[in-house]
Amino acid sequence: MEFRRIEESIFKALMILSLVFVIGSLLFVVGVILWRGLPVLSFDMITKTGEGGYLLGKGGGILNAIVGSLYLAAGGTILAFFLSIAIAFYLQKEYSGGTRLSGLTRLSLDILWGTPSIVYGAFGYIVLIYFHIRASLLGGIIVLALLEIPIMTRAMEEVLKMVPGDLKETAYSLGATRFETTLKVVGKQALPGLLTGVLMAFGRGIGDAASILFTAGYTDRIPGTLFDATASLPIAIFSQLSTPLPQVQQKAYASAVILLVIVLVISIITRLLAKKYTRFIIK
Amino acid sequence: MTETQISIQNLNVTYNGNHALKNISVEIPKKQITAIIGPSGCGKSTMLKCMNRLIDMTDNVTFSGKIIIDNEDVFDKKTDIINIRKKLGLLAQKPTPLPMSIYENVAFGPRIHGVKKKLVLDETVQKCLAITGLWEEVKDRLNSPASQLSIGQQQRLCLARGLAVEPEIILCDEPTSALDPVSSQHIEQQLLKLRKDYTIVIVTHNIHQAMRLADYVIHLYLGELVEHGPANDVFENPKEERTRAYINGTMFSDLKIDKEVDLKGNICPYNFVLAKQALHELSKGKVLKLVVDDPLAVTEVPRGMEADGHKVMSVKQINKTDWEVVIQKKE
Ligand SMILES: Nc1ncnc2c1ncn2[C@@H]1O[C@H](COP(=O)(O)OP(=O)(O)O)[C@@H](O)[C@H]1O
Ligand SMILES: [Mg+2]
Repeated sequence: MEFRRIEESIFKALMILSLVFVIGSLLFVVGVILWRGLPVLSFDMITKTGEGGYLLGKGGGILNAIVGSLYLAAGGTILAFFLSIAIAFYLQKEYSGGTRLSGLTRLSLDILWGTPSIVYGAFGYIVLIYFHIRASLLGGIIVLALLEIPIMTRAMEEVLKMVPGDLKETAYSLGATRFETTLKVVGKQALPGLLTGVLMAFGRGIGDAASILFTAGYTDRIPGTLFDATASLPIAIFSQLSTPLPQVQQKAYASAVILLVIVLVISIITRLLAKKYTRFIIK
Repeated sequence: MTETQISIQNLNVTYNGNHALKNISVEIPKKQITAIIGPSGCGKSTMLKCMNRLIDMTDNVTFSGKIIIDNEDVFDKKTDIINIRKKLGLLAQKPTPLPMSIYENVAFGPRIHGVKKKLVLDETVQKCLAITGLWEEVKDRLNSPASQLSIGQQQRLCLARGLAVEPEIILCDEPTSALDPVSSQHIEQQLLKLRKDYTIVIVTHNIHQAMRLADYVIHLYLGELVEHGPANDVFENPKEERTRAYINGTMFSDLKIDKEVDLKGNICPYNFVLAKQALHELSKGKVLKLVVDDPLAVTEVPRGMEADGHKVMSVKQINKTDWEVVIQKKE
């Protein structure tokens, strides 16, 4: 009896410790960024694009990077979404039949997930050079999509796997085809989870610098077409931090605040959407 | 003689080497309630799953034989499964609302079968909900999630959803086993009402339910067809000993007892010794009945006897303090 009480308090302590650790590190990171970034954050920074020599301390802002990042991450996420949802559904037993091919697909996705993003960047760079294409929004979008697909697919697959077999049997027993069952029942039940998968991938995409370093380029202008080079927030932060000028370095933290806010806003929107669809879910 | 709706011929099903249905041949009459009875694990659900081909969803299963519905063999490759499933509604053991609103649940079937007009759908939804007595209860919240209904209401919703597809046959797999008594009664009443328009096949291991509902009875035991026939004949005058035993409650309550020993007042380890002695005096395969009143003996004596290889046939409380343990000596 005594032993069980001690055991219980040990696990309780461990739980509290891990909670403190997780929340603490989050608050610490956000705190430092806000503390360093907020004082330098100005209206100009988010409304103006860089004027030549911005990184050398000249005027302007990083609107080009903000818009660029949104374009890149949104484009990459949309592209990844269509591919991932198809792969995730295919990996379900009813479609792939649990064959060797589906096992192989899963293995490849896991390897891709573990691949450092600089490797994607380098790969994209080689491809661009081979085809004599310049770094562009499209190049960035494609590389980001490649980066996001493993994350999104595996997250979606897990969610789809959780859909109870009863629901599928019910749909089949009413005379639904496999496709109707997938789309109208499984998809609906899994929707909140699928959205979360998309969000995870978006977060990874918008924050990644290494993969778009060589493929998206960097410019002071907002891209007008898919074939223009584009700036991005992670690379803006990186470049600002690498200058020797303290006043520019400080702006890196302000940029980080902007990135943080974007990710936060997207998370909240996704949460709200997911919540809206959770209403109908069968638990 | 009534018309046959479903004709099952030499049906065999094997799961992974486990022979779940053994050469079943039986005819299910039209527009009557047929009850499939038998203890759990005897293959009742499997039989239903063969009829609507939901058995296809199972891995490592092989089946053979014929199931003829309206001159069409369900197992034939040329048969359109969608069509078969449209013809056979299913009411599952656990209510299974779909992840959508109450209205959409009922409209689901008609929609996938091509009904697009809102007016027609509205009418179908109202009609089917009304048949199951749910309309009055939910007409003001048709757009709220089906999962918010009580379990009993969910089961009636599932019945309404099945009816919306306009089946000829309704298969029910222990449709009331997850419900409270009042909801169960509700479902039973609806099935009785539906009998004049539909062929109903209900799986149940509740013998009283079968007696209340069934016109025709099929008794399965360990994958074998023991007996089948009109409900009156089977319940009042079963041809088979096993059916009689099953109907009488426990499978073995009619067994001949060869020796009775009263062990009341004895405490446990001694109980066990006395029981062993009594069994020792019997010849192989004979049946011994013990009466004990030590609570420990109620669990320990049967356990010990089983460990010795004897067969414990029943353990039953006969009054406040006494228990009856029936043991058959190993062959
Ligand atoms: N999906 C399955 N895989 C393997 N064995 C199964 C499966 N479903 C049922 N069985 C086996 O088949 C036998 C009959 O099962 P079932 O038809 O569910 O019985 P009942 O509905 O009468 O309780 C049981 O022995 C059960 O273990
Ligand atoms: Mg069953």
